[in-house]
Amino acid sequence: METERKLAQWLDEGLLDQAAYDRILAFEKRQPQKKKMPLLLLIGLIFFALAVFSFIAANWQAIPDLLKVALVVLLMWFFYILAYFSGKKQFGKPLVFRLLGLAMFAASILVTAQTFHLSTSNSVLPWAIFLAALAHYFLWRRTAYALVAFIFGISTLTSFLPQTGWLEWGIFVAVALSWFYFSKDDAPMIFSWLLLFFSGLLLWDLIEYDSPFWPVWTLFVLVLLLFFTPVDKQRLLAPFYLIFGAVMLVVYLAVRGETELSLVDLNWTESIALAAAGLAVLLLTYFKFRDITWIAILGATGFLLFDDTAIALAVVAELSALAYLIIAQKQDKPLAFGFVYFIAVQFVIYVIYAWERLDMSLFFLIGALLLFALSGIAWWLNRKKEGAMS
Amino acid sequence: MKNWLLPIAMTVFIALLVTSFYAASWFGDRYTLRAEPFDPFDPFYGEYVMLQYPDLEAPSTVEDGDVYFTLKEGPDGFAVIDRLENESFFGAINGTFYGDRITAPQLEQYYVEQGLGPALEDAVDLQVTLDVAPWGTIRPVSLEVRDE
Repeated sequence: METERKLAQWLDEGLLDQAAYDRILAFEKRQPQKKKMPLLLLIGLIFFALAVFSFIAANWQAIPDLLKVALVVLLMWFFYILAYFSGKKQFGKPLVFRLLGLAMFAASILVTAQTFHLSTSNSVLPWAIFLAALAHYFLWRRTAYALVAFIFGISTLTSFLPQTGWLEWGIFVAVALSWFYFSKDDAPMIFSWLLLFFSGLLLWDLIEYDSPFWPVWTLFVLVLLLFFTPVDKQRLLAPFYLIFGAVMLVVYLAVRGETELSLVDLNWTESIALAAAGLAVLLLTYFKFRDITWIAILGATGFLLFDDTAIALAVVAELSALAYLIIAQKQDKPLAFGFVYFIAVQFVIYVIYAWERLDMSLFFLIGALLLFALSGIAWWLNRKKEGAMS
Repeated sequence: MKNWLLPIAMTVFIALLVTSFYAASWFGDRYTLRAEPFDPFDPFYGEYVMLQYPDLEAPSTVEDGDVYFTLKEGPDGFAVIDRLENESFFGAINGTFYGDRITAPQLEQYYVEQGLGPALEDAVDLQVTLDVAPWGTIRPVSLEVRDE
């Protein structure tokens, strides 16, 4: 109706001639009409669903155990059947219905746990949904399933705490590795890489020896993954190696500057081993994956942490930030990441060395001026770069 | 087939989960434990009563941490510890021992009807009936006020 009204208006104004008007109208009439569900039916369905849910909720305790579980499983089937017909008859979105089905699967485990007084602190629920979402991803290759798998992967990892066992950890790493290896899209590859990195952090819980360097060891081991990764995906993952490496260096600087480092076992043997591993990573990445050579710097943290003034770490962080910026500028690469890292390093150094020496208000004033000056330089450099490009 | 594979697998998983709990009742022994409540609500799973068990006492030889135990019926009809070790053995219930309290994940909290938690907590003297499978799985069956 709206099209017809508009066309008549254009015809009256002389923008269209009668022949064009007729042709457009004939074309529009041939288009398939969108099927709209009557509003009253929609409202009726919503109220009916609410009534069913409130009836079930009101009688929940009176429903026999098995029937409770069966009800939620039936609801799960309802959504999968809806997804099937939605794909076949072209209505709604099968993805949304399958996600709802997956949610009902989670609900059925929750109901089972509640009905049978299962402890809430075990890993059955996150494992089941993690694996189910992964299976969905491999069958339909949609990012939404990968996201659900990632969220429940993290949840599975945290459910291992505080008593992580080698078996479940090993199975988790194997599953995440397979996911990484068989993923073809960007998002799942990043998600599985993140899960592998976070599972490395669980070594703190898994092994009695409290190394300060589990994250660095993990990042170094993950470099080996790049051998099984196509070149375009190596470029996709490179920023993650750099970002995680940068965050680690800043965290080590902050921790060394602000604490006594009494919770970890710092020793020369591990520091030497880490330096050797850092050297190996340096050579490997320099010849094979040059984008991430920067992470080899972390090999030196083993020695740098022995300096309790944190000056050596601060110098390394500062120099690496400056060097990264200069090289990125020379190679005409994006500067944003380098700048954020540079500013983070300045602020950690500022907090470590100025917090106890300055009056509170002066600390924040100088901090704000520092941030202002650094942001100003970043803006100026970026403008200069854009000006040079145009 | 692709459309139905996962819902079928997921249904089988739920069925196995439920069966594993019923199996404790089919093949196991039934015990009643003296219980005392100590904390109430989980917004996600609903209302439950946190329970501790005064009769589950550990000898001084047992160390804090993971413990494995079996139950037997005491002279007054309530269950007491039969065998308790720090090392796992077949048929043992997997639990933890900290301070002077022994508990198992499934014994620690008991979900109750909405609004019933405070009444059970006020009653203080409670009893839990549970089925223990020969392989150590527990299925709590009921939580009631104890008449003594």
